[in-house]
Amino acid sequence: MATETQTELTYRPNVDICDRGAEVLIVADVPGATPDAIDVSFDDGVLSVHAPVPARTLPGRSLRQEYGIGAYRRSFKLGEGFDASLISAECRRGVLEIHVPRLAAVRPRKIAVRTA
Amino acid sequence: MATFHAGIAPRLEDVRDEFDRLWTSLTTAPPLHGWPAAPAERPFPAVNVAESDEALVVETELPGLDAGDVDISVAGDELVLRGSRAGRPEQPEGDGEQPATVTWHRRERGSGTFERRIELPVAVDATRVEARLVDGVLTVTCPKAPQAQPRRVTVRSS
Repeated sequence: MATETQTELTYRPNVDICDRGAEVLIVADVPGATPDAIDVSFDDGVLSVHAPVPARTLPGRSLRQEYGIGAYRRSFKLGEGFDASLISAECRRGVLEIHVPRLAAVRPRKIAVRTA
Repeated sequence: MATFHAGIAPRLEDVRDEFDRLWTSLTTAPPLHGWPAAPAERPFPAVNVAESDEALVVETELPGLDAGDVDISVAGDELVLRGSRAGRPEQPEGDGEQPATVTWHRRERGSGTFERRIELPVAVDATRVEARLVDGVLTVTCPKAPQAQPRRVTVRSS
């Protein structure tokens, strides 16, 4: 019986994290991951990503091995003020994009300064 | 080689994350995945190469690219991979009242052009080279030229 993940070979994907005001956008390189099997969860201000990668081996004997193949895992501490129910994610061409919108009430507000 | 580099001064979170990265690198498998933002000492992209009786197979990871972004050619005893990935200038997502600002907290994913030449140890049939790009993984299959394939020798018994 296989046990989950503690002994799974994992890699930390490179990410771009961009705060766009109304949302935080996280873009991660996860080549080889199966889009349907990617798990994105948000709990207590922490966004966690687990992208399993099906094993793949090249036919024949290995001549050169410059990188390994395994699942991607990474967590991000985003803090408070995000609307977990509106988080959306898309994975295309091995790139995962996660949109984490802020709750409307906590978005930075621009305050107009009136002159007397 | 990747031409993009981050120009953000280190902050406390970055120091903390360096320790996190160090811990992660000690407890997980070797890195070099994806497309690093800073120019790496190692050639880019990293490749895995295997040889069977019929073909040489070269695999590399090119997240974000589709078939039109990569150029593959075979010349003599070299396989040449060329391509590029555009950086993304993110636009602020405002909703009328918001200040329109974009703040980058991480820029680990690189962009730019690359060229990698891979020496082929055996002769291949350049007209039958095939390439597939699925979920950011490029697999190039180079069938061996007939003279490079192992010859089976029939043993006669008389």
